[in-house]
This record gives sequence, C-alpha cells and structure tokens, in this order.
Amino acid sequence: MSVGYKSIQWTKTKLIYDVILIAAIALYVYLFITVSAKLGAEMNIPPVGNAVRIRAYGSAAFVLLHVILSIGPLCRLNDKFLPLLFNRRHMGVTMFVLASIHAAKTLNLYHAAGNLDPIVSLFVGNTEYFNLAAFPFETCGIVALLIFFMMAATSHDFWLTNLTAPIWKALHMGVYAAYALLVGHVTLGALQSHRDPLLTVAVGIGMVWVVGLHLAAALQEAKLDRQSLAVGDADATGFVETGVTVGDIVENRAKIVTISGERVAIFKYDGKIAAVSNVCQHQNGPLGEGKIVDGCITCPWHGYQYLPENGASPPPFTEKIPTFDVRLEGDRIFVKAIPHPAGTTVEPAQIPQSSVG
Amino acid sequence: MNPDSPRDDFYRHYAPMPKSYRRFLLVLIPILFLGILAIAAFLPNIHSQLNTGKIQGRQTFEGLLVAEPVPHIIVPRPGNTENGDGFSRYVLSAGNKAGVSQKVLDLAGQWVSMKGLVVSRNQYSMVVGPTAEAIATPEGVTIVNPTDSTDNTSPSEPEPTEAIASPEDVESDSTDATSPSDDSEPAEAIETPKSITIDPTAGISLGEFELEGEILDGKCYPGVMKPGRGKVHRACAIRCISGGIPAVFIVQNDRGESLYFLLEDTEGKAVNDRVLPLVGDRIKISGEVMQYDDMLVVKADPDTYARM
Ligand code: FES
Repeated sequence: MSVGYKSIQWTKTKLIYDVILIAAIALYVYLFITVSAKLGAEMNIPPVGNAVRIRAYGSAAFVLLHVILSIGPLCRLNDKFLPLLFNRRHMGVTMFVLASIHAAKTLNLYHAAGNLDPIVSLFVGNTEYFNLAAFPFETCGIVALLIFFMMAATSHDFWLTNLTAPIWKALHMGVYAAYALLVGHVTLGALQSHRDPLLTVAVGIGMVWVVGLHLAAALQEAKLDRQSLAVGDADATGFVETGVTVGDIVENRAKIVTISGERVAIFKYDGKIAAVSNVCQHQNGPLGEGKIVDGCITCPWHGYQYLPENGASPPPFTEKIPTFDVRLEGDRIFVKAIPHPAGTTVEPAQIPQSSVG
Repeated sequence: MNPDSPRDDFYRHYAPMPKSYRRFLLVLIPILFLGILAIAAFLPNIHSQLNTGKIQGRQTFEGLLVAEPVPHIIVPRPGNTENGDGFSRYVLSAGNKAGVSQKVLDLAGQWVSMKGLVVSRNQYSMVVGPTAEAIATPEGVTIVNPTDSTDNTSPSEPEPTEAIASPEDVESDSTDATSPSDDSEPAEAIETPKSITIDPTAGISLGEFELEGEILDGKCYPGVMKPGRGKVHRACAIRCISGGIPAVFIVQNDRGESLYFLLEDTEGKAVNDRVLPLVGDRIKISGEVMQYDDMLVVKADPDTYARM
C-alpha cells in the first residue's frame, strides 16, 4: 500500500516520533557541552569549545547508531518495539546529520587554516595505512559517513521502488559495515587519545549489546524456522503437509511454514484459510507476523496491505505477492509447494463448520 | 484466544495505537531519555578534555627577537636574577596553523615591542599571533651574536646578568586566565640597568641524553586544543608543524612531570618538515640537551629520531 512517493507521508505518529527524537538529541548535545563546561569551570581550566562540540556530536551519532541497530532485533524479540521501527529511517537520516556535523567541525578545527586544503589534509595528514596502531582512524570515519550518505540519500521509498527491494535492502545492510568502521574509528582514534579505560569499557558494552541482540534475534529466528518446517514432502498433486492445523491459527492471524526453503504465511479469517508468500514487497517484512485488518493482510513493519485471496494490495496500490493453493484434510492444512505468480487469485480453503474453533 | 485481548493488539502507525503498545512506550521512552541523559552526563568525565594548558590573554613584551632554531623572543626578567636565568624565552607562532608572520620575522635580531596572545602550560609558554615593532635597544643592553645581521650591535664582554624590570611576567600565577582585555601596557618603564649582555646563541650544554617522548606542535598542546596530543590530534599537529609552528618534544620525567624541549638539528636549524611522520608517536631522541636561559633544546639529527 505505497501511497505514491511524491513526498514523505507525514502522519501524526511520525511527527510525534520525530519530535521525541530531536528533543532527545538536543538534550544530549546540550548536556554534553554543559557538563564539559562545568567540569572545566570547577578546575578553572575551560575546555576548548569546538573540540567539545566535536565530541558531543560524534558521540551522539554513535549512541544513536546503537539505538538504530537495536530496533531490528528488539522487534524480532518483542513486537511491542514495532512503533520504533516504522520511522527508523528518520533516525538514520538524523544520525547522518549528526555525523556530518561532527565531520565538518573536525575538518574546521583540525584541518582548516593550515597550508593545505582541509580535505586534502584529511587524507594526507596521516598515511600510516600499514600500521594498525597508527592507522589513520579518520579514514574509517569518512568511509562510514559515505555509507550513511548513500543510505540517507536513498532512504525515500522512491529509491526503494526504483532500486527494487532486494538491492535497496542490500545497500542498507551497509549499516553493519559502517558500524564496524565506526568501532574502528573510535577505537583507533578517541580511545587512544582519551586514556580513561571506562571509555573503552563503554564502547565494549555497546558492541556486546549490538552483537548480543542480533545473536539473540538470530537464534530465535532459527528456532522459529526449525519449528515452521513443513512436515511432509510434496505428494503427487504437489501439496505438502504443513504440520499446521486449523486450530493452531488464531483468527485473523497466521502461522509461518517453510516449504522448500520458502516462507509461507497461512492465514485464517472468516472461516477460510489462505496462504501467501511471507515476504512483504515493501522491505521484506514478515507478513505472517501481521494481522488481517479490514479484510487485508497487514504487514507488521510499515502497515502495507494485501488481500488474502490474490496477494494484491487494494487499489490504488499496486504491490503484489505470490499466492499458494491450500487444501484441508480435516483439520490438517496442506499447501502446494509451487506458488502462483504474484497477484494470482486463489480460492481460499473453506473451513468445515465442525473444525472451526 | 480472544481477538480483542491485548495479546492480539496490532500496531499500525497510521491507526490509533493499541493500549498495550501505548503502555509499553510510556515506559520505554522515559527509560531511553534517562539513558541518554546518563550517557551525556557521564561521557565528558572520561574524555581528556581538560588540562592545565591555558590561554592567558594578550600581553606585551619587550625583548630581543630571535629567528633560530625557532622564532622566539628573549625577554629580560624582572626582579632578582642573581641565581637564576636572567631571561625568559617565549616561542612564537601565528594565530592559524602557521609560523609567526614574516613581518615579525623580518625584525629578527632587533629589540622589539611585541604584543600577542600568551598560551602556556606548566613552564612552557608561547606567544600566538604577535605583532611587533622594532624599538631602540635599552641603554646598557648589549647584543652579541644576533641571529640576523640587520642590527648588529658590536659585541662586548659578557657580563653577569642583572636585575631588570620588564614587562609583566607571564609565568606569574595569573588566575584570571581568559580576561580578554588584558591589553596591558608594558609594566613600569624599564629601569636603567647597569649593563646586560644578551647572546641568543649562548647555551649551556647539559650533556648527551636519550629522551623518550612525543613530538607535538608548540601551540595546540599548551592549551589551544585539548587534549592537543595523541592520535586524534595528530593530523592537526602535522598541519601546524608543517606550517611553521615550532615542534615541541614532551618528555615525562620519573616524577611524572612534563619537560618541554624544542628541537634543532646539528646545524642549529628548525626540524619541522623533517619530523612530520613522527608527530604524535612515541619516539626516542638521542642528542645533546642545550639550555638557553629557560628554554631547553635537543640538538640531534632528525634522521636519528626513532619510533618506539
Ligand atoms: S510494510 Fe514495510 S516491510 Fe512490509
């Protein structure tokens, strides 16, 4: 249910989301600067304002990146985090802006007003590329910033549609490369100049948190995948016993089954059973974790909708997903292993009155 | 399961938020805010953004301008100097990442009145972005071996240095560090000294030493930037030193005190462009340590500086 992509769709929820986001960041930067000034005043040695701001914006971007990277796995672990997900892109763009301010201020303080162009200075100031300890940490930051730029520039649904979801998704997986680069940037940079071990501990905690959350989510996913494996092999008619019974599925909800490596969402609604591809056309969201709302399968991530009978978004929208034939044997659900092309109308299986429950 | 139970709540950003989600967010968002506040209040404490380096305000000096090994000014000290050095030496730089202006350098070898921003850390001080004008050498002052021949006063017998009133002493413990309008006049008029001799090249050799430390730029480290050292600051220090700001070699002695050495090659020239790859790293320098009044200089061929 993409509503064109002429402009960003502003909803009230989005506005509230953005206000909270900006407020939190403003508070962070303000507090960082104020606390730094206060520490300096106590010792009667004022810190250097520009350098403090470089640290404030840089650390704000890094902390925000941790939040951004946490949202995905947190949503896999608990769907109550989903309200943080739908507008995560604004968080990403905001993080890019913070990182850019950090970079611009750095360029201005450390590289400008010298005998070289600041950009040139940035690259030739330190060229110890083959020495790990002396490695120019700036370069890690620059590459990460470029990745964020690519992501921010293509964050709009216009690019999602034009690049196609898989390419867009792959591009946006670059965030993990950028995170690794930033850990390098901070470790080879700030951690070597600010020798307080707690700073290292803080970066370490952040890493353990991000990696740990992703592992936990992956484990959970793997477990669900194992559980969702279809029990049987395709019979002569091409149907596979899913192992799911009508009674297993909550009304207007789905069970996900993996049939020959493909995830299929089997929905129950209005006394009917329908099966569609589990993969949302928008950003590969898990449709089987969605719900039927107003007669449409609704994606849990950003709310795109599809009709269960034909896998097509209601007009005027044009997204389509593959559909599957369904057959019931008593309570047991069988699904044909080979899907119909996206948008094909399929007759849902009617649940005999006796097994509704 | 009852379809209306909270368990079955389903969130869509374009529809009213189900109660269970709302309740969850009402807890989550304050926790996020508190977390952010805690991080913002905590991080500045573990960044090394404070040190004793200080910008002391603009001050005026009168003394002999010297170009080598690094541009500096030799200022007669006030008060009793019987048992100490008679002069203070302040290293010079421009306000940006460059050495002191050519206009000032052209006055090398002459007695000047100089006004500039003083930056200091512990016993090391630098005058940043000074303006200077040549003035008459005070009576009784004899300059020998000026590094520039423009004002070559005939040399005379070196004599013990004498007390001389001078412009205010920047080493004095000024607590009002940032008073911006510290445009003080040269303090009391210089008392007529009996006679003093200044020889910019007259140093005392303290012997050969092997020193371990870090090369930094002489402007950022004393206080223009904080921390102004180490890897994060490396590129900046390289720009500064290649721009002509004197390189300073910081060495920690056994008692944890920092000693500041300027660097000269075996010919007594500045080493700036030859030390750039070593800036900000731990290095070892073996050479003769010279003391020129209160300024320490290591004399060694920069090719022999070794990264540790
Ligand atoms: S709505 Fe965005 S992934 Fe489904």
